[in-house]
Amino acid sequence: MTTTAGVGERTRPPLLLAAAAALAASASLIPVVYLAVRAVEAGTEGFVATLLRPRVLELALNSVALAASVTATCLVLGVASAWLLSRWRLPAERTILLLSALPLAVPSYLVAYGWLVWSPGLNGFWPSWAVLTAVCVPYVTLPVAAAWRGSSGDLEAVARTLGRGPIRSFFSATWPQVRGAALAGSLLVGLYSLAEFGAVSMLRFETLTWGINASYSASFDRQQAAVLALVLVALALIVVWAERRARGQAVTRVARPLPRGVMPRRWLWAALAVVLAAPVVSVTVPVLGLGVRLFSAESIRALDLPRFASAVGATLGLAVVGSLLVLVFALPIAALTARYRDRLSRGIEGIGYLGHALPGIVVGLSLVFFGLAVVPWAYQSLLMLLFAYVVLFMPRAIGSARSGIAAVAPALIDVSRTLGDTPAASWRRVTARLAAPNIAIGCLLAAIAIMKELPATLLLRPTSVHTLATELWTRTAAAEYGGAAPYAAALLLVASVPAVLLSTIRSTAREDES
Amino acid sequence: MSWVNIADLSVAFGELPVLSRVGLAIPRGDIVAVLGPSGCGKTTLLRAIAGLVPIADGEVRVGDRLLSGGKVRVAPERRGIGWVPQDAALFPHLTVAENIAFGLRGPAWRSPEARAARVTELAGLVGLADHVKRTPAQLSGGQAQRVALARALAPRPDLVLLDEPFSALDPMLRVPLRREVADVLRDQRSTALLVTHDQQEALSLADHVAVMMGGRVLQWGTPAEVYRRPATPWVARFVGDTVELDGVWSADAGGRSVDTVLGRVPAELVGEAPASGSRVRVVFRPEWLRIEPEGVGVAATVTELSFVGHEGLVTLELTGGAIVRSRALALELPRPGQVVSVTVRHPALVYAHAGLGAAAPMPQPSQP
Repeated sequence: MTTTAGVGERTRPPLLLAAAAALAASASLIPVVYLAVRAVEAGTEGFVATLLRPRVLELALNSVALAASVTATCLVLGVASAWLLSRWRLPAERTILLLSALPLAVPSYLVAYGWLVWSPGLNGFWPSWAVLTAVCVPYVTLPVAAAWRGSSGDLEAVARTLGRGPIRSFFSATWPQVRGAALAGSLLVGLYSLAEFGAVSMLRFETLTWGINASYSASFDRQQAAVLALVLVALALIVVWAERRARGQAVTRVARPLPRGVMPRRWLWAALAVVLAAPVVSVTVPVLGLGVRLFSAESIRALDLPRFASAVGATLGLAVVGSLLVLVFALPIAALTARYRDRLSRGIEGIGYLGHALPGIVVGLSLVFFGLAVVPWAYQSLLMLLFAYVVLFMPRAIGSARSGIAAVAPALIDVSRTLGDTPAASWRRVTARLAAPNIAIGCLLAAIAIMKELPATLLLRPTSVHTLATELWTRTAAAEYGGAAPYAAALLLVASVPAVLLSTIRSTAREDES
Repeated sequence: MSWVNIADLSVAFGELPVLSRVGLAIPRGDIVAVLGPSGCGKTTLLRAIAGLVPIADGEVRVGDRLLSGGKVRVAPERRGIGWVPQDAALFPHLTVAENIAFGLRGPAWRSPEARAARVTELAGLVGLADHVKRTPAQLSGGQAQRVALARALAPRPDLVLLDEPFSALDPMLRVPLRREVADVLRDQRSTALLVTHDQQEALSLADHVAVMMGGRVLQWGTPAEVYRRPATPWVARFVGDTVELDGVWSADAGGRSVDTVLGRVPAELVGEAPASGSRVRVVFRPEWLRIEPEGVGVAATVTELSFVGHEGLVTLELTGGAIVRSRALALELPRPGQVVSVTVRHPALVYAHAGLGAAAPMPQPSQP
């Protein structure tokens, strides 16, 4: 009774918090609104004429074909991997589980680079499909495996005793328990495939993102770039809408762990091939290629040390400043939505999450327009680039910080208030202290994402600033595979720093809970 | 003049009224139990007094300070009211000593020596002097609850609110701990308001009991008054076991007796007087009925015996088929099937049918 007592009362958020959160969330609106303004600026006729160009249709179809095929492949491969990982005993299970999550750590353009090192002739649809599929499979494998671990195997047994065969019991009893997780995961894959820029442009497959960059930088056709970006946003929003619906179906419950089957020897190799296909394609082959190139004489000769050092510095500096800035924007939204679920708060949250749906290249392009027209003094300044990071990566920080703040029991706040704390003192002495690990996790997630960010950085960086990602991309685009190797290696190393910090925070956070 | 005065207090969550015109006047140093079933609004009453929920109407005064009422709504941190929540809610990032010292701020507690002395005093008082360096995760449920009490008492609040402080604990721990808590509260001369749904807890611990139902206070009195002369049959059932019979009220009996299946028995009227000759509800406590050898009173057959060590609850069927229960000491218990007789040793309570509170839901059957 006491535990729910806080719910009915706290319907109205404090004005100051709501205002701060609304202000922070409105940052996400700038790119979308300005893009729409820009696209129809030349009049509706011009807009429609551009929209109907055969080139636009061709690029859109390429994007949809790539996203659809990657999504379908990831769905099948991911569900199969999850089934093998959660329902069968495999040798070296912990290692295999870790390996199956590893593709998440490698940026897709780095995978493309790693394959181009071996085979510079790779280009077009199939290589793009293979690279993206390998990188994205964990988005399906991990949630589906988790759903399976939490689902009751008795249902399948019940279906068998009620006269259904193994395959029909699978589809009538087992599949419904993981369908929600599988759909949500694969729609996330669809979203990332639509937004993907680095890998497809390195592999010269002409999608909307490639077209946006080409129209903008080569032909300087601003209107076509804006229209392509709007088409891409529309496609992404459809996918996000579908993902939200699918996530609603996801069943999460804790059940008795299942007795798992022992894989017969003759099937073991086939099973391992399914589970390890993605890590081999996205990690082993590219990292080997990178290693071979890194220690070749050509690479060492080509290395411009000051330029390399400045790229490392820029990457680290942008990540530190950017992630702190992301936190400043994310905290009010997280604090608001952790405690209040009224319509206003949900609206603010929805807008804050917009960046999740926006491809980096779209945010970059839109902020170029915005900078040129509205705030010329900020155009091509670090400020604009950092703002793009805020829009793009705020959702990661919001999600983590919010779950940390929501986990602080309202009774603790009540107690601190009755012991003489003002709301601000209570936030400082209790909420922020207890949510600190989760807030730090949100900050580190943003830092990792900023280090790996490519398209928005390409468009918005000041001409003198090079990050490891942009250097890797420009050198690969110019087929300087050897010269790109140190940058690729440094990116992997630098991005692993916050990842290591992340794992230590997670383990201390868990100790606190016990 | 009472120390805590709550008048016409009403609270609503949106359109839903939770408290309706609640009034309490609590003398200084009293321990008051608010007793009611789940969802009766008793926790909301505490939260309203602490300033954690806004009130719709009425006022709350402690000492000579108006805390809520009219346009006044003093912030929780300025009320000087201590709060002991149901699950202790210790700050997990602080040690026991730091938890107790949490509210020791402001001019009076500027000196570290004064703070340390107060922490030591309270830790000793709740019997945890050896545990001050521990973290909440290293405490048992009972220890955590005692730290929560020490933490609330440390700044010397004008009033301490305890929200079902023992309900999460093992029943074996509950009885000694509530004795201990009452001793600590009396030692510190604290005025305390405790909410509970446990009748035994309210009756054994408090100086006064307020019985609540549906957002209203149905009765205020000492534990003995509430048990012996409950305001309605619902209150009677909620605070203890009852034997309920139909009866006929006759005015010519002088208002002192009622006709029931147990014959004409002495009676005490509670509430409005019914019309002469009307049917009334007659309520006894089981220990008000005595089991005697056959032939002394109304004949009855023992049908069931529930035995709890030192005493037992005997179910009896009267010749007319009516069922009554009597509480008797273990040495005096009859055997099932035995024919005995029943006599009345305490006046029955009589309630007019209009005042039965027909809308009141049945309370959970109380454990004998």
